[in-house]
Amino acid sequence: MIRDITIGQYYPSGSVIHLLDARVKLFATMIFIISLFIEKSVINYLLATLFLFGMIKVSKVPVRYILRGLKAVFFLLLFSCVMNMFFTRGETILWQWGVLVLSREGMINAAYTGVRLVYLIIGSSLMTFTTTPNELTDGIEKAFRPLNKIRVPVHEFAMMMSIALRFIPILMEELDKIMKAQSARCANFEEGNIMERAKNMIPIMIPLFVSAIQRANDLALAMESRCYQGGEGRTKMYPLVYKSRDWWAYAFILLYFLVMVGIKILIRS
Amino acid sequence: MICTVLFFFWKDGGIMIKAEDITFNYIRRDTEQNVVEIKLALDKVNIHIKKGEFVAILGHNGSGKSTFAKHVNAIFSPEEGSMYVDGMDTSDLSKLYDIRQKAGMVFQNPDNQIIATVVEEDVAFGLENIGVPTKSIRQRVESALKSVSMWKHRKSSPNKLSGGQKQRVAIAGIMAMEPDCIVLDEPTAMLDPKGRKEVMDTVKRLNREKNITILLITHNMDEAVDADRIVVMDHGQVKLCGNPKEVFCHVDELKEYGLEVPFATRIGYSLRKAGLPLPLGIIKENELIYSICDMADEMRVDKRALRRKENDIEYMAEPKAYKPPAPKELVGKSSLILDHVSYIYNSGNVYEKTALKDVNLTFTKGEFVGVVGHTGSGKSTLIQHLNGLLKPTEGTVYYCGEDIASKEFSLRTLRSKVGMSFQYPEHQLFENTIYDDVAFGPRQLGWDELKIEKNTFEAIRLVGLQDNCYDLSPFQLSGGQKRRVALAGVLAMEPDYLVLDEPAAGLDPRGRDEILNRIYSICKEKGIAVILVSHSMEDVARYADRIIVIDDGEIVYNDTAARVFVNADALEKMGLSAPKVTYMMRSLSEYGFPEYPYIIKEEEAVSIIKGWFAG
Repeated sequence: MIRDITIGQYYPSGSVIHLLDARVKLFATMIFIISLFIEKSVINYLLATLFLFGMIKVSKVPVRYILRGLKAVFFLLLFSCVMNMFFTRGETILWQWGVLVLSREGMINAAYTGVRLVYLIIGSSLMTFTTTPNELTDGIEKAFRPLNKIRVPVHEFAMMMSIALRFIPILMEELDKIMKAQSARCANFEEGNIMERAKNMIPIMIPLFVSAIQRANDLALAMESRCYQGGEGRTKMYPLVYKSRDWWAYAFILLYFLVMVGIKILIRS
Repeated sequence: MICTVLFFFWKDGGIMIKAEDITFNYIRRDTEQNVVEIKLALDKVNIHIKKGEFVAILGHNGSGKSTFAKHVNAIFSPEEGSMYVDGMDTSDLSKLYDIRQKAGMVFQNPDNQIIATVVEEDVAFGLENIGVPTKSIRQRVESALKSVSMWKHRKSSPNKLSGGQKQRVAIAGIMAMEPDCIVLDEPTAMLDPKGRKEVMDTVKRLNREKNITILLITHNMDEAVDADRIVVMDHGQVKLCGNPKEVFCHVDELKEYGLEVPFATRIGYSLRKAGLPLPLGIIKENELIYSICDMADEMRVDKRALRRKENDIEYMAEPKAYKPPAPKELVGKSSLILDHVSYIYNSGNVYEKTALKDVNLTFTKGEFVGVVGHTGSGKSTLIQHLNGLLKPTEGTVYYCGEDIASKEFSLRTLRSKVGMSFQYPEHQLFENTIYDDVAFGPRQLGWDELKIEKNTFEAIRLVGLQDNCYDLSPFQLSGGQKRRVALAGVLAMEPDYLVLDEPAAGLDPRGRDEILNRIYSICKEKGIAVILVSHSMEDVARYADRIIVIDDGEIVYNDTAARVFVNADALEKMGLSAPKVTYMMRSLSEYGFPEYPYIIKEEEAVSIIKGWFAG
């Protein structure tokens, strides 16, 4: 199950979206997320759906592969939907039991929240599927460079993120190995109440931390021995330079945003 | 003994690395910064390395060889003495990045030194750091990747590469910096034989074709044989120094330092000890064979007469084939049976992969079984079926006649009875004390405190750890000792079967021999069956009664060791091999000596050859 986490992984399929500048994709993802919060209307969400699945189609990343990533956050999704369902105050009450109130508004709200979260996750994972972590890091670094002026260590943050993404699959594999090794020593992760289960995680978590720290140590040494000295004076193998397709993409995403806002104005008036 | 080698090049121009009397200590401090322990890692080390030379530094784990390597790269700077790389003093901070470009470093763990998520971007990492213009980054990355034959993988993710390929990417990352020298710190310790060969071939080619100075830190003697010069270290001191022929003459001394000598040297040494006039300094197999042939000519040994003689019939005859015990014989006895077991990963989707195909195997108590197969052949899938970590897609696993998939069967009992230790088992240690860690399994089984205590002490004794170690933290121990603690943790559960995946991986020769000898004696004394998964044919040949060869998920051979290794050609097609001694006997028979196809142990070969020259 753990190996199923696909969020944050790169999926090379060589589509147009893969070729776009990382900054464009960052911007587009941001705009897309904002657009989800513009208006809770069927038309808006239909347009967002069209846009999102259109992008997936263009990106050539298999839909099933993307959906698999949702499995990992399934409980989070379920939790927020249920919370919304029961804690939205509404007029038309469908069902009531003690403090639990289920209203029509609550149901609608939950549905929108669910869809919104799912789209948010798919939208942002589409960005990571189509952008190598290094491109992403470069994009973030360049887009947020002005923050350097107010002493925000932009390069360091970007580097940290890229390394985290590189080591996720390695640590996952490690976790899998440790779980197997402890299972072979009769460790039990499935039985018991929450406290016992938490205690049973110790034989997994400690070795995992030890290994992560060891790896961090090794990596720091390797980086240092390859002349790493922070962001100052670094050059790039693939510097980010806008091409014409990037400008078209900007135009397209802005158009999408304007239409979304337009629909909102039409509905409200 | 301090070894300073004199060269024809006295000028600094000819010297790449010059270490003069360097001394270095590791200082361990407690939380209040008080010094707890000082360990002398380098003790007045003098090493000079010429440009273009290929030098191997040998030493057991903890001998100071890695510490020395880190001095070359200016990661450490000497406390006393001085270190020069191409004339630059490593303690001069202004030269730091120049030194690191001149002398690049490749580390042991392939995963922990790749920074980027795409091969070519990783190779570019160093160049980006030193501010090389974009256009020349691309050119240099291209030529670096081509020099290690990884150009066609430039867009791949490092996670998709094999260990050997990852190490070659790491080498490319150094090559892109256009260094004069590459320091490799046990680059093959975590690789399979194929990966080892890839990396070593690459290193030798770079040395030969690009005239790169190579400093190889290793404890694998076969890798050192091709070096121009060998430096042997022990306790932070240089003990021996010279070309491979000179160094490998010191067989007993090397053994004292926890090392060994190459196969050919070992056989030559045993024969010399038996009084045969073999020359000193044999390091390669073909030299050994020629010397034996020359010796036969000189001593006028009649090879034809030898062939007619039948005094060695016991070694020549075909050994008995392994016959799995009939079901009747197993009644009332402990057994572990795989019956028509198949296993498919990701059944039903695009990633579907058949890992095991119709496997039938029987294990009984007291056997020592070797399992061999190249990486990805299905051997780790196979062993995970033995204790129920994986359930067969088809077929059944029986423990003592019971189907382990049935509801009534207790997996916990199975896992205590079939103990398993994976590769690098020391990575699973987590408790505060060695005692608690070893007692983890028994406690999970819910035994009473007295039995837990008895078994824990017994297990710690069995693996040969000191009596006063119970309260130490397992994290304070050396690598080899940690591994023993992990092994004790399995033994404390009173297993009848012990499944070990590469128990000697990464250990130096002494550590390897110690742990394997322990395992062997535990098998024979306690009657515990051992199932040993290994890449080393030598180890398997030395200890196993029976060998299972797995290729592409299918059992190809399941027979006594000698009868398996007689199929050397077929094994090679599967990416495996026979022990070196088997090849040696085969070559000797090609030169007219009698044929002994079933020899897999070095002692046997030595006594046969002695026999030829005795009469």
